Amino acid sequence: MELALRRRAEEQRAYWLFVSPAVILYALVLAFPIVVSILLSLSNYNGGLMFGGKPWSIVGLQQYGKLIHDPQFWLAFRNNIYIVLISAFGQVPLGFVFAYLIYRKIVKGGEFWQAILYAPNIISVVVLGLLWKMIVNSNGLLEDVLNRLYAHGFLGSLNHVFANGFVMSDDLVRQLIKIADPGALATFSDPFTDLKDFLAGYTPDQLSVLKSDLTNLLARRWSPEFMARPGVAMLPILFVFLWCWTGLYLIMFLANMQKIDKEIIEAARIDGAGEGQVLSRIVLPSLSGVIANAVILCIAGSLNSFTLIWAMTGGGPMNVTEVLSIYMYRTAVVSVNYPLSNAIAMSIVAFSLVLIALTKLVEKRWGGRE
Amino acid sequence: MKYQVRSPLASRFLGTTGRTVAYVVMGLFAAMTIYPILWLLLNSFKSTPDFRLDKIGLPPKWFPVNYAGAWTVGEFGKFIPNSLLYTAAGTLGVLFFAIIAGFAFAKIRSRATPVLYGSFVMGILLSIQSVMVPLFIEVNQLDLLLGALFQSLGIMKATSFHLFYNTRLGMILIYIGSGLPIAIYLSTEYIRGIPGALVEAARIDGASFFAIFRSVILPLTAPIATTIAILQVPAIWNEFALINIIISKNELKSLPLGIMRFDGTRMTDYGKIFAALVVGMMPMLAFYVVFRKQITKGVAGGALKG
Repeated sequence: MELALRRRAEEQRAYWLFVSPAVILYALVLAFPIVVSILLSLSNYNGGLMFGGKPWSIVGLQQYGKLIHDPQFWLAFRNNIYIVLISAFGQVPLGFVFAYLIYRKIVKGGEFWQAILYAPNIISVVVLGLLWKMIVNSNGLLEDVLNRLYAHGFLGSLNHVFANGFVMSDDLVRQLIKIADPGALATFSDPFTDLKDFLAGYTPDQLSVLKSDLTNLLARRWSPEFMARPGVAMLPILFVFLWCWTGLYLIMFLANMQKIDKEIIEAARIDGAGEGQVLSRIVLPSLSGVIANAVILCIAGSLNSFTLIWAMTGGGPMNVTEVLSIYMYRTAVVSVNYPLSNAIAMSIVAFSLVLIALTKLVEKRWGGRE
Repeated sequence: MKYQVRSPLASRFLGTTGRTVAYVVMGLFAAMTIYPILWLLLNSFKSTPDFRLDKIGLPPKWFPVNYAGAWTVGEFGKFIPNSLLYTAAGTLGVLFFAIIAGFAFAKIRSRATPVLYGSFVMGILLSIQSVMVPLFIEVNQLDLLLGALFQSLGIMKATSFHLFYNTRLGMILIYIGSGLPIAIYLSTEYIRGIPGALVEAARIDGASFFAIFRSVILPLTAPIATTIAILQVPAIWNEFALINIIISKNELKSLPLGIMRFDGTRMTDYGKIFAALVVGMMPMLAFYVVFRKQITKGVAGGALKG
């Protein structure tokens, strides 16, 4: 009896000794900040010594009241929703489709696709963000490539117009106007006269110079203004989100598909089941739990969007690509408004809890079908 | 030998079209990974004027000086050792604390387990970025508070006390704390799979839990320890958001903070930017090339249901 008690005490001592370092660290990094944050979001504390410094007090829910009427908060919230949507309805289904194609060997070279499509996940998000910024920004790769293509196409039409060499005529000017980009023509006050004057400056043996000058002047040009236009500034970001993390779900789904008993599928095929039936009757049901899990993970992950956006746009132009975490950071570090910043922090926590509860609910209702 | 469905012609047509679409879409995704990386590599060897003249061609003359420039501007010589330290210490810390806690959760009965373990599992889904501002305030206040204590004891001035805020130790502890939820989930589930009879037998022989942990459990945890480490290393090495707000002292910054310097005003010196991005990308790409199989396995395992 005494021995059993002593053993029980030793058990408890060992348990707490093993568990407490992790619990303390975890509490310091996650639980405690949440408590601090709730407190600060209700207070008027704004820097300095929290204990023994300038007195501060709990002033109530006014920060949350401010947030409700804050257009920037709702803009950032909407951007967060976009990212959640592209994750749940873009990355996850696409990852599933890719995994299925590889699993059923509909596409060959599974190892290659896995290796390449997962690769963006391992590269620093800072690097990815700056890299894609250099691709989609003005003077970037995309602009360069597209304008080369436009110029090349226009040069083809020019060669056609100048098939018989350069002979000045009104008809030539009209033909040039016909092939020119309307946007480029709009910069002339009177395209016909202006172009005629322009052509008069060249002699017939300067045809190649003329062609390249005309290309610069009249070919269609694309400029990546979407990085500066509020309505569409999120598009490149969402695109990079889709590209970057689809591979993660591909890996998750494929690993679980490979656990399905191959003989079941073979038997179904022999009984005349089509690819669609294999998918809907065998693969989807046995993966429903994993899919629900992936959706939960991807929603949680899509709230960690700070770094990619910070590197790609910094939240700009004019803060239109801010998500809640960037808005929170800016409120704390740039405008130094701790109460408001903490109110934003708690709204992110609440947002993620609601989303997770929602997916759990959906999983309970429709998931786990076996 | 594949068995045909009712209408072989229609299904073969669908199959061919479907297959082509699949190859095109997946090829597009792959191209968006491969081409930008090649583009980055090539341009890192172009001088900035050469890049302005031609953004997609081969460098007219190879210009490795970009790397030297980027190395100086980004202070990589200082930041890479810091990154190595954060990654090594953070990963080892996560491993150690997660495996001992996982052993306790899995093999020692306690009424506290559902609450504690449940809160760790919950933590997997909470975004650590959402608390980066309160975390920053907290570490700052902890130092001030402890400093005030020491001042009242007459040991030192309150403001000169630094334990957590703007210190390597503070950053490492934060990385350990934020890595624990997934690591504890993985280690607990894994150790639960180790037969309880092994532990029982050792208990009957009178072994203490420390002895059991050392001689029975620890030798069996190598696979899950590998998985945890392989998930932690890139996570800490690439981490930006937390260290960006917690660390302001230059000597303590990590590689991602150095890379971020090439954003903004320096965004016109393209040669150096490309070189910096290559430096930022290479260590983890090499890690990926070496450990791809384990990484893939670890990622897939991390998604499993508990």
